[in-house]
Amino acid sequence: MNASANVLSGDQTDALQEIANIGMGQAGDSIARIWQQFVELSVPRIAIVEADRIPALIHHFVGDGLVSAVRQAFHGGFRGEVLVVLNTGNRHELGALMGYDGPLEPHEEEEMLLDVANVLAGACIGGIARQLGADMGFSAPSLIGTDLDAHSVVRPDELSVATALCVEVCFNVKIHQLSAHLIALLPREEVAALGELLDRFLCTL
Amino acid sequence: MDETTHLRLLGFIVERLEVGILAVDRQCRIVLWNRFMETHSGRLLDAVQGQNLFDCFPELPASWLKRKIDSVFVLGNYAFTSWEQRPFLFRFKHNRPITGGVDEMRQNCTFLPLRDASGEVKMVVLTLADYTDTALIQRRLQAAILESETERRKQRALLRRLQGAKAQLFQSEKLASIGQLAAGVAHEINNPVGFVTANLGSMERYLGDLTQLIGAYDAAATALPAAQAAAVQQIRQKLDYEFIREDLTALIKESREGLDHIRRIILDLKDFTRVDQDGWQAADLEKSCDSTLNVVWNELKYKAQIVKEYTHPPHPECIPGQINQVLMNLLVNAGHAIGDQGTITLRTGAQAGEPREVWVEVQDSGHGIAAGDLKRIFDPFFTTKAVGQGTGLGLSVSYSIMRRHGGRIEVRSEPGQGACFRLVLPVQRTEISDQSPPDGPDLAGEVSAEELLALEETDGR
Ligand SMILES: Nc1ncnc2c1ncn2[C@@H]1O[C@H](COP(=O)(O)OP(=O)(O)OP(=O)(O)O)[C@@H](O)[C@H]1O
Ligand SMILES: [Mg+2]
Repeated sequence: MNASANVLSGDQTDALQEIANIGMGQAGDSIARIWQQFVELSVPRIAIVEADRIPALIHHFVGDGLVSAVRQAFHGGFRGEVLVVLNTGNRHELGALMGYDGPLEPHEEEEMLLDVANVLAGACIGGIARQLGADMGFSAPSLIGTDLDAHSVVRPDELSVATALCVEVCFNVKIHQLSAHLIALLPREEVAALGELLDRFLCTL
Repeated sequence: MDETTHLRLLGFIVERLEVGILAVDRQCRIVLWNRFMETHSGRLLDAVQGQNLFDCFPELPASWLKRKIDSVFVLGNYAFTSWEQRPFLFRFKHNRPITGGVDEMRQNCTFLPLRDASGEVKMVVLTLADYTDTALIQRRLQAAILESETERRKQRALLRRLQGAKAQLFQSEKLASIGQLAAGVAHEINNPVGFVTANLGSMERYLGDLTQLIGAYDAAATALPAAQAAAVQQIRQKLDYEFIREDLTALIKESREGLDHIRRIILDLKDFTRVDQDGWQAADLEKSCDSTLNVVWNELKYKAQIVKEYTHPPHPECIPGQINQVLMNLLVNAGHAIGDQGTITLRTGAQAGEPREVWVEVQDSGHGIAAGDLKRIFDPFFTTKAVGQGTGLGLSVSYSIMRRHGGRIEVRSEPGQGACFRLVLPVQRTEISDQSPPDGPDLAGEVSAEELLALEETDGR
């Protein structure tokens, strides 16, 4: 297997899909535990995408309507960025769940969005990394915006990579009408690092 | 580097780094508390070690923070707080006692899970970075952005008002120069009219003399021989002398009336333009109506019947030339609104109460004003007339003239039923502030000299 290749081989992709499935399952489980709510999870989708397709892809994932979006960088065994696109129906109930007292101030609402995104990103990336034996660090999440339409979550001219590996998963917390799409983007040159980790994982099987 | 040295070095860094570092165990008991935390909280490690974090610092937002720490224990993930959403976690004084500007230290916090060999999270480490400087800079930036944004908005509004004022100036200058021209022409005509009148007087006298002379001849004609008498009689009949004599008198009478009319028009024109006597004075609104009516008579005579309902109200202090200008705008508009045939009613009246006010109404039986247009007709350049027919300035100029007079212009109209404009003037002149009234049309206010200066300055930047 050519570890320096910029795309994953078939075996590697299969392994990543498997790891993502397991990782997301664990993530869902731990999120359910801290929120004491059943969390519905989609099967993760993996794709190589051109940067200029990313806005359309996000729209494809989340559909029409206004969303909030958060970005967060991760680093360690491999590095990249997570976009968490949130559709929060009942923000106040969600606020109570996160330990806020009373109705949310606008900045508290922002903080809550950041926190929800951080929890989801940490659980998902952490879940995948743990199986690969990689130790991940995260930088602080930052708010892209609230009440955005899906196309304007990222602008292609803001992206510094040409191609990216995209792992998408959708969360649903029914009771709180919270749905979130998590899109992990790996710049192409990081795919090799991930490939190596996957190879090592395949050897241990 | 051997392990002990390495550990000592790490210990030193944790202790002395200009970042707050603390750690808590699963029960939220404090296990680590570095120098930064000691200095800023005023609590030494000995005093807090082993104590519950929330017991030591009851001001912390307990329910929210407990959950946050819990989630780090359960998920093993990172967590963060940012000063932008949550200015601080610990209420610390900021590190700018002299040059301050904020009360509390702004903090960015990171929660790190600390796992043991089995992967279980045993502790949560909290780092706390001082972001006060960033926050201050950001605040200043935001203030600057806000300021320049307000400035820009003000400039835009000023520019729009300037444009409006320019257009109005143009319109009133045009009217003033037309007035001056008319006054000049009136003056020129005055001379020939004067001597024609004088000549006509002489002619009338001479005619009397001549008639008298012919009468005398008539009386003497009986003494003429029959043949000559017949010849004279024949000429007389041929020329129809009786008719000539009567007609001459009538012609002269009519000419005198014509001359009177010319003189009245000249007087009205002078009255209307008031080039000779500008400025504030008590003016008879009914006279203003009449002289203005004469000036625009040409445009109205074939289609409008004029009804006057005058009640002789007191004479308000005003600049008559300007009030005439307003009346002319209203009369011309009324004429336009009437298609073929209609009525224009001029009414005057006084209102009881303080301050005493008088009013003039110009009502027409024209097509009226659509409800949606009613609040826009005073806007500069608002016109429903064809290109070249209306500039849409008449009413906006009238509006500002009335405002300068401390009065107002009101309108009521039912589409299809005609329109009625009412000018209200205080009898006593009042001081007018320069501020545009909140309900006035956007651009009707004039731009003051200071504002113009300010505008030029910002333009030159
Ligand atoms: N008596 C009226 N009846 C019906 N509509 C009127 C009357 N007076 C004014 N309007 C409406 O208000 C608009 C604005 O009038 P204004 O006198 O400001 O401008 P204008 O007559 O169109 O042009 P200008 O007076 O500059 O030649 C007119 O175009 C017309 O639609
Ligand atoms: Mg007009």
